[in-house]
Amino acid sequence: MALVGMVLCKTTLRQSVRLNCLQTHGCILKNLLVYSTGTSKSHCMVTGRTVNLAHNRHLHIRRALHVTQPTMATGVLSEEEIFKKKSLQDYLKKVETEYRDFLKSVNMPECEHLDAEIMKFRRTRVTHLAPLVEYAKNLELKLEECEETEALLKDEDPDIRELADIDMRACLEAIQDLRHKILSRLIPVDESDASDLILEVTAGVGGQEAMLFTAEVFDMYQRFAAFHGWLFEILEYMPSEIGGLRHATASISGPQSYMKMKFEGGVHRVQRVPRTEKQGRMHTSTITVVVLPQPTEINFTINAKDLRIETKRASGAGGQHVNTTDSAVRIVHIPTGVVSECQQERSQLKNREKAMQVLRAKLYSLRLEEETSKRYHARKIQIGTKGRSEKVRTYNFSQDRITDHRIGKTLHDVEEFMLGEELLEEINEALQQFSEQEALMDLLDELVSEN
Amino acid sequence: MEALIRLNRLGCAVRLRYGPMRRQGLCFTSAGRDLPPVSPLSVQQAAALWEQRFRQCGVSEPHLSSQHIMAHVLGAKTMASLDPVILTEVLTDIQTQKFWELCSKRLTRMPVQYVIEEWDFRDLTLKMRPPVFIPRPETESRLGSSVSGVRCLEVGCGSGAISLSLLHSLPQLSAVAVDRSQEAVCLTRENAHRLGLQDRLEVRQLDLSVDAEVILKECGPVTVLVSNPPYLFSQDMTSLEPEILRFEDPAALDGGADGMQLIRQILTLAPHLLTDEGLVYLEVDPRHPPLIQQCVEEEMTAGLQYLQTHCDITDRPRFCVLQRRGTED
Repeated sequence: MALVGMVLCKTTLRQSVRLNCLQTHGCILKNLLVYSTGTSKSHCMVTGRTVNLAHNRHLHIRRALHVTQPTMATGVLSEEEIFKKKSLQDYLKKVETEYRDFLKSVNMPECEHLDAEIMKFRRTRVTHLAPLVEYAKNLELKLEECEETEALLKDEDPDIRELADIDMRACLEAIQDLRHKILSRLIPVDESDASDLILEVTAGVGGQEAMLFTAEVFDMYQRFAAFHGWLFEILEYMPSEIGGLRHATASISGPQSYMKMKFEGGVHRVQRVPRTEKQGRMHTSTITVVVLPQPTEINFTINAKDLRIETKRASGAGGQHVNTTDSAVRIVHIPTGVVSECQQERSQLKNREKAMQVLRAKLYSLRLEEETSKRYHARKIQIGTKGRSEKVRTYNFSQDRITDHRIGKTLHDVEEFMLGEELLEEINEALQQFSEQEALMDLLDELVSEN
Repeated sequence: MEALIRLNRLGCAVRLRYGPMRRQGLCFTSAGRDLPPVSPLSVQQAAALWEQRFRQCGVSEPHLSSQHIMAHVLGAKTMASLDPVILTEVLTDIQTQKFWELCSKRLTRMPVQYVIEEWDFRDLTLKMRPPVFIPRPETESRLGSSVSGVRCLEVGCGSGAISLSLLHSLPQLSAVAVDRSQEAVCLTRENAHRLGLQDRLEVRQLDLSVDAEVILKECGPVTVLVSNPPYLFSQDMTSLEPEILRFEDPAALDGGADGMQLIRQILTLAPHLLTDEGLVYLEVDPRHPPLIQQCVEEEMTAGLQYLQTHCDITDRPRFCVLQRRGTED
């Protein structure tokens, strides 16, 4: 029995490239024993189909066994691995049928009596799906071509083998390219990705040390903005006595600024011996980073009647009767009670504009959060959009490492990282990739559960 | 000679007595003149010291005054815009000297804008010099969004704030600014030069009540007439704060018994200065808009039509828009 298990195990392992054989060996064996008791020997050994079945089953069991581990630490799948998923294949097939049906109905004259709205929807859908369907078709062709060339690779004539090799390479490249195109079409676009943002940093647990680190992180983002050539404008800055930072707000604008900054939101933890510590003990402190998409005028309006604008000049006669230098402005959004203030400028108008900017961002984020929680309330892992109370990253100075807990990625050289250049960008790209994949998987899961 | 020696001794005695306290920066000599401390102070300490001093002497806005002057000494606009690390830094001798000098001026109730000789108006930083009227934040708010046109006349330009910010935001516009005061005209010119807007701005020293004909002949026709004329009621002039009363030109504030003196002159002249459908923008006292409307409707200034009233940020009716009637003359 054990031997059967071993044989089967080997076959399975050969096929599932991404499994670590040594780690999972024991459990597979056990599973297979369980499995084989319920099925006949010939079944498991001979046909590819049964082997595949076992394969699926063992995958399933494996996940169940590791359920205590955070699922987020699984890392990023390659495009090839994603394409192996049945849900994706199903989805592509579904899209193709939908495309064909709609195309037929759009082109058929007898369908014209249908509601104009429906027709409009179908037409836009057809235009939207057309490239996707074409890519999928091309991909299929290329895959077939690939198989054919593969046979030629074993040809006796070395010239043909060489030619086949060249063909094969071109083919694989094309496949890769098509897969990439398909995936990038499938990944849902975050509505607010194109917008600018408001960054808020607040010192959390850890007193003065947390405030010192808050100042450092704020500087890091300022440099990150400079690194990308974004505009970084400080809206609010509340310092602590010894040069730390209690709370600060800044407006960042520039191409892709929100897309790249959105993963920074969350609780950041620092572990080090603080400057303020006299006995050399290590402290753990936290700071909170909030990234709010800044709405453009077009996609968000605030009713002026809902605002109460408070200035020093509201009392008394105003105008030529008084001369004050108090240009601070405080704006209250009455329906929600959201407040923002600014005293950064000497011009009252400028202060009002800046306070308004912050208020808009706050309100927009409220609305966005509402929508997001509606849409994704079943989503388990959230990067960037929610989960602000979650610890997202640790900066450990004594070990000179930065760990991002969402993707389990660790980088070294804290000093370099705090410069807000390549290293921050590196972790950012990993998060971006992971988030896109996650969004895609969610989409596929949703479709599967719908069917 | 003997008297001099005695005086000198007295000085020594005073210095000996107050020296240690002054060194800590905790006390001001009672002789009236405020001398800078002997030992260096941090930004925060110096600012706090003067805030306290202002408070003792009943100077309005003690905190902000000290903060604005300190920011200016440090080369910034507001303390909030500075890196907070600076708060703990020690002032250099020159900075201390400057800070003490400027704060002493503020102690005489001179407005902060005059003390630091500049202030912001919308996007612009303007030079401020007594006795030229300091632009108020109310003026900032309504401007710009509503005004358009190709040629503009400003009556009573003061520091030039309105004309210059219009020119700044409307590149097609050219403007004439007139004021009766020599100081105001000079300051407007200076500000125009500093902002590089002098090519589109003509500044004339003219008095509306005296030089009406010159204005008609040489400044018109214009598509827009703007003015923040003196509109205070004469009886209110005495109740103004010392900052305004002592330092700002009363002629830029006092609008006669009902505050309408200059407003009436502008309304009379406007139809002759404006092109067809040209607009008048006036900033006035909240009591004025109904009076102006009445004034225009009672034949007195034929050729003008009252369009609308806008409120300032605190919801007080402050801006009047009038239009020249296109059909008749």
